[in-house]
Amino acid sequence: MEYVLIYILNGLYFTSFVFLTSLGLNIILGVMGILNLAHGALYAIGAFVAAWLIGSMFAGMSVLLILAGGLVAAIGIAGACGLLMEISFIRPMYNRTLEYQLLITFGAMLAVEGLIKMIWGGQSYYASAPFVSMGSIEIVGSVYPVYFIFAMVLSFATGFGLWLLLSKTRLGIMLRAISMDREMAQAMGIRIKWFNTLAFALGAGLAGLAGALIIPTTPATLGIGMDPLIRAFIVVVIGGLGSLRGALLGSLIVGETRSFGVAYFPEIELPLLFLVAVVILVVKPEGLFGSK
Amino acid sequence: MDEKRFNRRSLLKQMGLAGAGLTASGLAGATYKVRKATAAENRSIPKTPLKVAVVSFLSGPASGPFGIPGNNSFKICAEEINKQGGIAGRKIEMKSYDEAGGTDSQVKLARKLIMDDKVDIILGYISSADCKAILPLSDELGGLIFAYDCGTHVLMEKEKSPYDVPKYGLGFRTAAHLAIDNIALARYIQKHYPDVKKVAGINQDYAWGRDSWMIFERAIKKLLPHVEVVKTLWPQIYTKDYTAHISSLLSSGAEIVHSSMWGGDTVTFTKQAIGMGLFKKARMAMSRGEPYPQEVGEDFPENQIICCAGTHYFLYPPQDKWPLNKKFVADYHKAYGKYPPYPAYHAYQAIYAYKHAVEKAVSLVGGWPTKKEIAMAASGLSFETPSGILTIGKDHNAREDVLVGETKKVKSFDFPILEPENSSIFPAHEVNTPVGLRTVDWIDSWEA
Amino acid sequence: MDVKSAIRSPKAFVYLAVFVLLLPLANFLSPYQVMLLEAGITLGISALGFNLLLRYTGLLSFGHGALFAVGAYTVGMMYKYFPALYSIEILIPASIIVSMIVAGIFGYICVRHTFIFFAIITMAVSMVIFTLLLKFYHFTGGSDGIHIELPTMLGTSYTGIKRFEFLSGPYYYFLICIFAVCVIVMQGIVNSPFGKTLQSIRDNEVRAEMVGIRVKRYRWYAFLVSGIFTGLGGALYSFINGHVTPELAEWIFSGEIVFMTLLGGFMIFEGPIIGAILFTYLQLYLTSWTEYWQFAMGVILILLVLLLPQGISGGVADLYRKLKKSKTREIS
Repeated sequence: MEYVLIYILNGLYFTSFVFLTSLGLNIILGVMGILNLAHGALYAIGAFVAAWLIGSMFAGMSVLLILAGGLVAAIGIAGACGLLMEISFIRPMYNRTLEYQLLITFGAMLAVEGLIKMIWGGQSYYASAPFVSMGSIEIVGSVYPVYFIFAMVLSFATGFGLWLLLSKTRLGIMLRAISMDREMAQAMGIRIKWFNTLAFALGAGLAGLAGALIIPTTPATLGIGMDPLIRAFIVVVIGGLGSLRGALLGSLIVGETRSFGVAYFPEIELPLLFLVAVVILVVKPEGLFGSK
Repeated sequence: MDEKRFNRRSLLKQMGLAGAGLTASGLAGATYKVRKATAAENRSIPKTPLKVAVVSFLSGPASGPFGIPGNNSFKICAEEINKQGGIAGRKIEMKSYDEAGGTDSQVKLARKLIMDDKVDIILGYISSADCKAILPLSDELGGLIFAYDCGTHVLMEKEKSPYDVPKYGLGFRTAAHLAIDNIALARYIQKHYPDVKKVAGINQDYAWGRDSWMIFERAIKKLLPHVEVVKTLWPQIYTKDYTAHISSLLSSGAEIVHSSMWGGDTVTFTKQAIGMGLFKKARMAMSRGEPYPQEVGEDFPENQIICCAGTHYFLYPPQDKWPLNKKFVADYHKAYGKYPPYPAYHAYQAIYAYKHAVEKAVSLVGGWPTKKEIAMAASGLSFETPSGILTIGKDHNAREDVLVGETKKVKSFDFPILEPENSSIFPAHEVNTPVGLRTVDWIDSWEA
Repeated sequence: MDVKSAIRSPKAFVYLAVFVLLLPLANFLSPYQVMLLEAGITLGISALGFNLLLRYTGLLSFGHGALFAVGAYTVGMMYKYFPALYSIEILIPASIIVSMIVAGIFGYICVRHTFIFFAIITMAVSMVIFTLLLKFYHFTGGSDGIHIELPTMLGTSYTGIKRFEFLSGPYYYFLICIFAVCVIVMQGIVNSPFGKTLQSIRDNEVRAEMVGIRVKRYRWYAFLVSGIFTGLGGALYSFINGHVTPELAEWIFSGEIVFMTLLGGFMIFEGPIIGAILFTYLQLYLTSWTEYWQFAMGVILILLVLLLPQGISGGVADLYRKLKKSKTREIS
């Protein structure tokens, strides 16, 4: 029983990454109605940029500084990639049918994965200096790495910041207006074209941040974005498409199911997650916070 | 002989399917192809270079720890062989292919290599799934295939022991299978920690991890019947977050934790386990841990039990006593700035097994041998490698001794090493399954 | 279109001509090329099933890889657990029945959704099938998959025969005949009242509901039929590949099915078949040509969507129409 608290904490840690990944996916889906299959590839870009910067530039500099540099660079480069993608080939897709929208992001996923391989080669990149140098502390009777707490705080803070952006600022209100009714927003004089670009770049930047944030704990390898993408899909499915609250609750379900699944039902941890998702779907087809 | 298979009965059946005239022409074509394949060979040694295809992971998570070191070693070895005049006078023309992309595309690639490119041999495969899918192609398509690294113990085994060998006439595995490491770990624990009570396992959730744990569990229960298994965890392969697993191991109170994890997964797990204090409470027993102290560096904890997939270690056999290891380590370190991990040794074994088999066959038949003759020469072959002497059994599977030791920090290296003088060597007959037996049956037959 | 006029239509002549041309092809191509062609044809059967949903029902499935895997695994499982029944006359109906059952459950969960929701849900459900294949290691062989032996065919055993001889001999003719049957049956389905109902639902769901069509029920039927074709393709494919792994059920492969359908052009009935065959060659030659095949594939896909949205067949049809137009203009 004494370990229950630490299991909850582990679940929260996992939640924080799933949440951060699903945020970007959800924004793009909500504002533009496009399911971005290349989201995992953007996540991978963030991971590689961070691993490359932190791993090779670490010598002699302060850990926090280099970590911050790595995270910002990852957001910037992944965001820029998103920007380029949107302008060059996503934009002509808005008035095309669904199969083309999905297929073009599928193609983008393959191309970006290939591009990463061209730039960084096939091998893994290690950059664990921030994780190691932050050390561990005693928490609820267990040893716990400080970096995990840092990652959790950062990712939930990002979620909160995004919520502020969407609900309190003019920009956010316009974005929400677009996601509710595109034509009406356009009629009201919102320049949809640029908001699309902005939303896509924002989503891509968030994917890059998620990828960069995980790097100190694990090497960057090709295909690193596949599993987060699938988990983010599950979050979006059970939380409801385009809902921020849904993303948070969905991530919590995914994270805690995993943590307790590993502890108590290690044999069926993964099917358990899908089972939960399917049950939610059968009971509430539009997801927990979705609207039809 | 093969022509008989296309007899009149099957002809009539084909007719029923597709119409008489068309089928007759199909039959003529098929028999023609068969005849062409069995035409008499020219015995003189060709002047053309040998086409050697090397397939290993050049991208993806398995490339860093296995594929690239293996491919590097293949390159060094091929260069060395060519420098010394090639194989029976024929130079090696080596081409590397990526094993990534899934079993399906590997089957297609192997078909292309054998049937379209007509390579002399395929050396390769790290993934057990690929090995299982591709070794049957050796006999189906008539191509020589030496699997160099994949570990599944059932690859060369049949459904029931005793069975007749070999399973594949033209398919080999020039390294020992995963059972040797796990049996050696169990024997090491029996020898050095006979009082251990609680063990746990954390293995990747796919065939490799499942098989490794199954063999270890069987062996340890046979050797130390009082041992209790308190937890078995199955993280998905390429998991990025092991916090849940580490907490679960901590709560189980296990003294020794068995793991067959590899690559970035091991590095990730080790670092997170250091951060969560696992190594203060438990000792890891890693069945293929050899490359990771070097990968993780000085943070890698001391006193962890590590196995070397055989005796593949840059310090064993001691370089002053075994010049072959000295030369290999020096060549590899010079070219790639690292000490060769075990897949590099496995690559050496594969390409030199082919060299020795061809040369043996050439001297026996007095001309260029057929693939079948090369296979016959390779069966039972024994030759010197940087890790000692390697023997390929009649079941076309290699047999090796195993080195097991514990990590220790020393001044001369910036990562913990296994000191050969403080490690245990388990001779091949104590850890390798005898020819014609299934591994599980063999372990079950041990006297307690 | 009744049967008589269907037989007399020029399309029937083209089909017959293609069929007659395909039959002796096994003798002219190398066994290796025959195997490639066969792989393309089996994928074509699956893509044909997929397109019943996309083109004729207006539903984009991103989970058809799982149904393909179900068909392929049925063959593997039959060998593992019922080796006595391992003949192709039993295996084909068995895989049809199993894919129908799985598609029934799969479809029941999914057809309540449309558009992007449908795509996401099919992807999620296909991942359930993927994890089940992966997790139930003792039953399915896990990530190592299952080896597929050569089946007996019409009572003849082919043990001891090399796979490529079987594939470029008897199996080729068998496959071509099944292929012909599939094309004819699918032609029948899309031109039947059932097919027309589906298209009316696709064009206007509300109107269809108004005239008394039970929309969800019909979508579910379409999913069933589609699943059967895809599963059948998987079963036929398994013999060619000789090995099945859970990767077939992963969403990447589902994406490839969408890719090949659009490559061929999904607005034309035969498009998916052309696309599947082209895709097989494209993938193989790209992977052996360059290490960066993934990048090349992605770029091709993006260019395809941007420049040739109607696929190869649509592009050719367009070109033909334009040529015709310019010709008539010259005359006038």
